[in-house]
Amino acid sequence: MILDLHTHSIKSDDGRAKVPNYCQWIRAREIPIDGFVLTEHRQFDAESDYSSLAAKFDLCILKASEVETEYGHVLVFGVTDALLSAFDFGDIHLPLKRVVEACAAHGAVPVPCHPGRKRVGMQAHVGEFGVPEGIRIVEIYNGGSRDQEDQIAQTMANELGYLGIGGSDAHIVSHIGRCATRFPGPIGNTAELVEALRAEDFEALTFRT
Amino acid sequence: MDIEALKEEFLHKDFDEQTFEIDADDVVNFALACGEVAPRYTDPGHPDFQAPPTFASSFQAGRRMPEGFPKIPGLGMDAGKAASLKYPIRPGVPLVGRTHLHDIYLKTGRSGPMTFLVMRMELYDPDGVQVATADTSVVIRERPGK
Repeated sequence: MILDLHTHSIKSDDGRAKVPNYCQWIRAREIPIDGFVLTEHRQFDAESDYSSLAAKFDLCILKASEVETEYGHVLVFGVTDALLSAFDFGDIHLPLKRVVEACAAHGAVPVPCHPGRKRVGMQAHVGEFGVPEGIRIVEIYNGGSRDQEDQIAQTMANELGYLGIGGSDAHIVSHIGRCATRFPGPIGNTAELVEALRAEDFEALTFRT
Repeated sequence: MDIEALKEEFLHKDFDEQTFEIDADDVVNFALACGEVAPRYTDPGHPDFQAPPTFASSFQAGRRMPEGFPKIPGLGMDAGKAASLKYPIRPGVPLVGRTHLHDIYLKTGRSGPMTFLVMRMELYDPDGVQVATADTSVVIRERPGK
């Protein structure tokens, strides 16, 4: 099963894509993914229900979040009410240690995204803050990466022994599915996604040309 | 910069009110400039003649910011506009635009830390019915090199 693990809808302040339009685009353009995860900036979209849309288009649509730390942006998979109470998702100065510990306590998985990007990627801050504890996975393919950002991410992942995922970081419809992650088995809900990430059996994919 | 304090003091309080007369020629010119070809936007003689939805974003408040709002250091830039239309805007129907600071938030990006200010103008017809809202976002980013 292939999921795009990093997307944004109009729920994000800079997102310009409506979720139904992502679905239409995937099917109309035969994008080779089976679903996507909405990772809205600095929030968790608890109110939206995409189950009927998922059924209509036969796609897996899950929700996660992208928070901001001193190491840059971090995807959080497995957001629960308890995790939402553990720290302020809107705080752009979150300590990564706190996010990692809260994720561990509440069954979520933190994944630094676009780690090769300046300012908002983890690699830019490792020299100053050191290698963070508790990170097992980073995003090594990001659909919005420029220049050598993905290469920097992959090199860092190799050196530090991290596993890699892929996500498009789509903010507009036509960017969905540029990068994704292949899992060996089916995933139908957030708990199964978290379980699959913890199983550490997946492969980052890029469809960028 | 204490964003929470700014929100507490300034958010959701009208700081400007303007009355706008809607001229048919202005509507047509706006529509053509946007590339509209539908007669209801370009032909004043059309029975459903009205302004394109984004016309709501063309109205300007008399003030850019609430009185007493502090200067946020950095480079300020337009960060986009968003219009939401509830009813058609039609020439000959004057609108009252009331503006408030709708949101303040922080984010980080490739270019560094940024502060976003969202001004919302709510447009009302003479009966007090809200016709549209128009958001104008301004981003203030840290000066390069800092």
